[in-house]
Amino acid sequence: MSETWMIAGAWIAAGLTVFLFSFLYKDNPFFKIAEHLYLGAGMGWWFQVYVYNILGPKVWTPLVNHDWMVLIPAILGLSLVTQFVPKISWVSRYGFTFLMGYGSGLAIPAGLSTDFISQIGGTIRPLSMMASMTPWAIFNSLLVAFGVICVLFYFFFSVEHKGHFKKVSNIGVYFLMIYFGAAFGNTVMARFSLLYGRFDDLYTFSASKYLYATQIILAGMIIYFAIHGLMNRGKKQAEAVN
Amino acid sequence: MLKEKLQKFFKIDRRWIFLLLAVVLFAPIIKPIGLPNKTISRDVQHAFDYIDKLPAGSFVLFSLDYDPATRPELHPQAVAMVRHAFKKNLRVGVVTYIAGSTGLIGQIFATVPAEYKKVNGSDYVIFPYMANAVAVMTQMASDFYGIYDKDQDGRDARTLPVMQGIKNYKNIAMIVSITGTSMLDYWVAYVGDKFSVPVVGGVTAISQPGYGPYLQTGQLKGLIGGMKGAAEYESLIKEPGKGTSGIDSLNLAHLLVLALILTSNIILLIIKYL
Repeated sequence: MSETWMIAGAWIAAGLTVFLFSFLYKDNPFFKIAEHLYLGAGMGWWFQVYVYNILGPKVWTPLVNHDWMVLIPAILGLSLVTQFVPKISWVSRYGFTFLMGYGSGLAIPAGLSTDFISQIGGTIRPLSMMASMTPWAIFNSLLVAFGVICVLFYFFFSVEHKGHFKKVSNIGVYFLMIYFGAAFGNTVMARFSLLYGRFDDLYTFSASKYLYATQIILAGMIIYFAIHGLMNRGKKQAEAVN
Repeated sequence: MLKEKLQKFFKIDRRWIFLLLAVVLFAPIIKPIGLPNKTISRDVQHAFDYIDKLPAGSFVLFSLDYDPATRPELHPQAVAMVRHAFKKNLRVGVVTYIAGSTGLIGQIFATVPAEYKKVNGSDYVIFPYMANAVAVMTQMASDFYGIYDKDQDGRDARTLPVMQGIKNYKNIAMIVSITGTSMLDYWVAYVGDKFSVPVVGGVTAISQPGYGPYLQTGQLKGLIGGMKGAAEYESLIKEPGKGTSGIDSLNLAHLLVLALILTSNIILLIIKYL
């Protein structure tokens, strides 16, 4: 990639980042530009992904090489588009039927095995190996099993939750709250990491080899907000006089 | 009088908090403080140990499925794990099921292999983006080349030295899935559990707690979570990178959040009981 393109890329990246962050101060036309560009660029990006990575190699190339079998999935896929024409939308059912059957066949056995049977096994197995476990591991296994039972009970609605049942259900809520707390803490850390990533890029683009892209764009935004603020103040004063 | 003054704290313009957070995150980038990352979590250690124990020449399949939206967290993880694999002289194959990953994969392999004198085609191979991950994963179980007959540069995958002896999952020593999507779940469900291939994951901090059950049952051999996980892995391979440099900012930002939570709660207590 030539140096000119690197610099142009840095200016676009720094500019769009600053424009989008400027919304935190207040809504402005630069934010709107970045927002609309994002939507447009996203659509364009996915269009070229579908054309060059799916339609081309998976449909067009096999057809050119006389691999006619590819017509079957291609027609099933195209049938989904008939959803947009009410009179022939029934054709799309064939495509959806295939998708449903294929998806269910793949997902149900794997889901049952991985997320259901293995997890039940993982909860029960340690209880059968306590003789060889450390006291801490035993406590851990019992806590997990107890937590699973309490949380499952919280979601069991065929028994009225009162008396002792309510206590078990409430303990389940505490387990859930601990999980949500941990998840939220991690979410905060993740968001900060993403923000750090953008700031790190802004710092990179502030170098002289990128012609001080970050500083110039930031200064431009500050000047815009200052002028805009002054003009608005002038307008408000004029309205107050009138 | 004091209560009225304290009440003003809750009416503070939130843009001041944004500015404070920006300063706290940005300052260590300009001038690193060098706060140490002293703890290595158990799951990161397991991930490291698993790769570390693989014999040289083993084939490790990297599934790098993240785009620029999660780059700050996942890119340092991918760089650290690829570095570790090259250090251990493992053969590296790279696949992706997220179209936006291709550029980021290119970034890694434009620089990292040269550091270890690794050659494209002999020591590592990058396969092109494929849609419909689950179908691809299922197909690879019977014939790897039924899906990946050519590498990213259009070379015949069967003839590449790095692919010698690789036909299906039986010949793959390990799968590393670094993703900001549910791709790791697919690797566990459709490959790890089904074909007994060890799977190690690298995920965003947000999704990290959800993988606890897979770790407890051994369905996942190790897990790296977020930028902190990347920093831990970098310190294990003794190659500080973007994960380590981000720890300063993250620590300070977390301290700021703690300070704000504590301050506001103390003020609330004062307002309520004084």
